[in-house]
Amino acid sequence: MTNSVAFTTVVDDIDDEALDDAFKKRLGFGFWVAISWLGLVSLAALLAPWLPIADPNEIANGAPRDGILGDNFMGTDALGRDVFARTIWGARISLGVGFLGILLGIVVGGAIGIAAGYFKGLTDQVISFVVFSLLSFPSLVLALLITASLNRSFLTVAMTLGIVGIAPISRLARATTIQFAEREFVQAARVIGAKSRRIIIKELLPNVLVPMGALTLLGMGISIVAEGGLAFLGLSVEGEAISWGKSIVDGSQTRDLNQNSHVAFVPIFAMFLTVMALNFAGDRIREYTDVRETAF
Amino acid sequence: MARFIARRVVQLILVLLSVTFIAFGALNFLGDPLVNIVGPLAAIDYCDEVEAGLREDSYTSINNSRGDCEIIGEAKADFGLDKPVIQRYFTWLGNIITGDLGTSFQTQLPVSEIIAQKLPKSLMLMVMAQIIALAVAIPIGVYSAYRAGRAVDRATSVASFGLLSIPNFALGVIVLQFFALRNQWLPASFDDTSIGTRIHSLILPATVLGLGIAATYQRLLRTDLLTTLQEDFVHMARAKGMTDRHIMTRHALRPSLFSLITVFGVSTGALIGGSLVIEGIFSIPGIGSEIVTAVVRDDFPVVLGSVVVIATGFVVINFFVDLLYTWLDPRVRAS
Amino acid sequence: MPDPQLTVEDLYVRFPTSRGTVEAVNGVNFTLEKGQMLGIVGESGSGKSVTAKTLMNLLPRTAEVDGNIIFEGDDVRAVAKERRKHFWGVKMTMVFQDPMTSLNPVKRCGEQITETLRYHLGDDKATAKKKAIDLLEQVGVPEPSKRVDQYPHELSGGLRQRVVIAMALACEPSLLIADEPTTAVDVTVQKRLLDLLDGLRRDRGMSMILITHDLGVARGRCDDVAVMYGGRLVERAPTETLFADSRHPYTEALLRTIPRIDQPSHTRLEPIAGRPPELIDPAEECAFAPRCRYAQPDCLGTIPPVGGVRGQHEFACFHPANTDRGRQALDANLAAGQTVTGLQIQANAGVN
Ligand SMILES: Nc1ncnc2c1ncn2[C@@H]1O[C@H](COP(=O)(O)OP(=O)(O)OP(=O)(O)O)[C@@H](O)[C@H]1O
Ligand code: SF4
Ligand SMILES: [Mg+2]
Repeated sequence: MTNSVAFTTVVDDIDDEALDDAFKKRLGFGFWVAISWLGLVSLAALLAPWLPIADPNEIANGAPRDGILGDNFMGTDALGRDVFARTIWGARISLGVGFLGILLGIVVGGAIGIAAGYFKGLTDQVISFVVFSLLSFPSLVLALLITASLNRSFLTVAMTLGIVGIAPISRLARATTIQFAEREFVQAARVIGAKSRRIIIKELLPNVLVPMGALTLLGMGISIVAEGGLAFLGLSVEGEAISWGKSIVDGSQTRDLNQNSHVAFVPIFAMFLTVMALNFAGDRIREYTDVRETAF
Repeated sequence: MARFIARRVVQLILVLLSVTFIAFGALNFLGDPLVNIVGPLAAIDYCDEVEAGLREDSYTSINNSRGDCEIIGEAKADFGLDKPVIQRYFTWLGNIITGDLGTSFQTQLPVSEIIAQKLPKSLMLMVMAQIIALAVAIPIGVYSAYRAGRAVDRATSVASFGLLSIPNFALGVIVLQFFALRNQWLPASFDDTSIGTRIHSLILPATVLGLGIAATYQRLLRTDLLTTLQEDFVHMARAKGMTDRHIMTRHALRPSLFSLITVFGVSTGALIGGSLVIEGIFSIPGIGSEIVTAVVRDDFPVVLGSVVVIATGFVVINFFVDLLYTWLDPRVRAS
Repeated sequence: MPDPQLTVEDLYVRFPTSRGTVEAVNGVNFTLEKGQMLGIVGESGSGKSVTAKTLMNLLPRTAEVDGNIIFEGDDVRAVAKERRKHFWGVKMTMVFQDPMTSLNPVKRCGEQITETLRYHLGDDKATAKKKAIDLLEQVGVPEPSKRVDQYPHELSGGLRQRVVIAMALACEPSLLIADEPTTAVDVTVQKRLLDLLDGLRRDRGMSMILITHDLGVARGRCDDVAVMYGGRLVERAPTETLFADSRHPYTEALLRTIPRIDQPSHTRLEPIAGRPPELIDPAEECAFAPRCRYAQPDCLGTIPPVGGVRGQHEFACFHPANTDRGRQALDANLAAGQTVTGLQIQANAGVN
């Protein structure tokens, strides 16, 4: 008997080790680098008003069209506005609409996806049809349709990005729900006669939320890029508000782009690094939470 | 199969109805429908007085042979703005089915004419982008799966990851700066002189759009191929002594193309969105630039008409992709 | 005596993985004479398929292989570049376990047979198709001229395995390796397929390696049987000898898992207690020791070398069954009620 106990302990040790390995492997160094960058950018965005940087909208803060590492750290644009300050302030709106957008998408899309997957029948058919119709628009076209006749404030742009996300997210939530609704523990709860609401909240939601975790990061990246796309259509936030998308548009007027490419390239670089960090971290989390892949 | 197609066609019609309704509804519910029909004129608020003969009509519209209030009155009557949205939708739907997409506020040209003029340029851009994407992604995808885990594969993984993280407008701006402005290797804007100049001037924007979806294609194809390469029939083909090349192209590729075909539809959506933006960057007078201009000028008939044409095209493409998918897989074809 | 058709010497195969190196095959030796049928038997994970894949050059690139494999005078691991093209698939070929997945779902059955003929023999389309129909006829596929144009999913499991066999036989190989060819099909179809394979190899004078985890399948078909455990060949003997007079305790245990004709039909079939050996960092001891009813302290000291009569009856065990040494060891363990590894054993469980 003692022997067999010793035997199982050894086996357990090995499995734990493998799990540890898997954990280190999957999240890894790159993941933490990505998270650090995201943390840094978010912090800069949040604290922008209190940071010792130039007023982003002050015209002739420096000589117009000054290059990188001149009097202004990241140079100035055609109006002499500080590019570095504008990029940090741009992060406020870009990250802001990205985050709010994906949050809205996940809450609404998740809810209707779960409803469709759980209740099936007519509910599912109606929801699926609407979702399918929404997916029949290229996403930027859908965003354009919504914003075209609205006043484009921070909130309406975030809302637009959110609405665009609802359809694909709800599809994922529906698929996950269907997958889990067939599992024993949910079936068992149903047999016992648990209320739908209870089953959804206690049994389904936690499981559906897992793939959503990765989606938050990936989707935020998509939203940030979508804001840029809207900016190029002239449909991002109106007025003096600064976003990365608007800054890139500002800098890509032919003359500026040729001689002062930093005006466009600095926000491009910021957006690129941020989106890459979001994609990278999202991918890692997805791999990490994907049971199929960790099983081997 | 016939029944399957019939079901799909019914579905297609339903989706088209719903898509046109969403487009119509979005512009009618979110904005003031009157603005959507007469544009800036809708701001005029003294038409009651004009009607009562208390003041003169004004002539600010481009078409100034008619009075502003006269135009507003006609619009209200034509579009039945006092009627329920559903009814207005069907009137409008009836019009677009007969090919009448309305008239531009700005140019007074029929929207269908504008689209007919602009759309071919956009289509050319998108077709070129798809060709570039497939031409880049398929060989690289096959090769990276074949060399999975080796240096070539890792390098392509990093490259496609980078490509997926760079928004197409950003890539467009960078490419424009480097290839067209700083070094004048390729044109910075569209040249409509001949078919040759058209293709030549679309190389840069099409490459920018193509590379973005190529990364998606490459990743997907690689993953699918790796799965397929685990299959027994691949081992069997190797046991039969077939060459690696034969196995990759004749055995593994086709069953691995299915997900590529499914995303072909989705990527067309990304491509449409991308070309809206890229057309602006590379001064291509296509439907994307037209929409952007129309949005800025509140020229809603043009916006609505273009969106409806784009969405319809997108739905129809996905419909055919679906059929193609079914037709390509003999297992599905049989059932 | 001429050289054997196939000689495998000191074959080692390991797979580096994130959890450590999997030692899948550890010093396997065997030979196969022309026209003979060798059965390789062992439970799941014992290294049967890896051995076969090594012969067929089908291992993933990451695999580390060591040892010599000589087939008809060629060093299989270093076939000259020009000959490689028409080596596997022509001289030596393999049939896999699952007919559902061994056929490419999006290619017609006929094409999957003809592509081999066209590539290796340079046949033109029409000739190849005719040959394919002939082959299907030979392997007992009804209406062969219709089948060539069908897709795999249109055929039943048994028919598909016949197509796979026809595919493998297309270039008239001199050695066919069949890796559990009947595990995935119906029991009723199983025997017919095995008899078909046996008949085909006799007609063609082809050698064959039949891999199975069921000793009963080997009986009456194989000339020799090799038993694998933990990546090693633990016993090898002419089939009848193995059944009548096995030496290795693992073989003995395996034999008890199949119905025997010389025992009353109600005799309980015993599964082998315990789990298969760890292949990552295995201890320097007999891999079967934790499950062995004969195990003694010396079994834990070294790995038992292969002994017995070379080329006749070989086995790797310090206390072989059906010998005095073995009986003494078993008696001692029975008296103690357990073996040196702590395995509880009882006197009445399956006395020989
Ligand atoms: N590519 C690989 N990488 C790592 N380990 C492998 C690989 N291929 C096989 N193995 C391991 O080698 C061992 C032997 O596998 P093998 O497939 O030869 O077993 P088998 O005797 O054929 O079993 P079965 O009856 O299940 O087919 C197993 O533990 C397996 O996990
Ligand atoms: S008796 Fe010893 S050597 Fe023989 S199988 Fe058992 S443990 Fe191994
Ligand atoms: Mg096997």
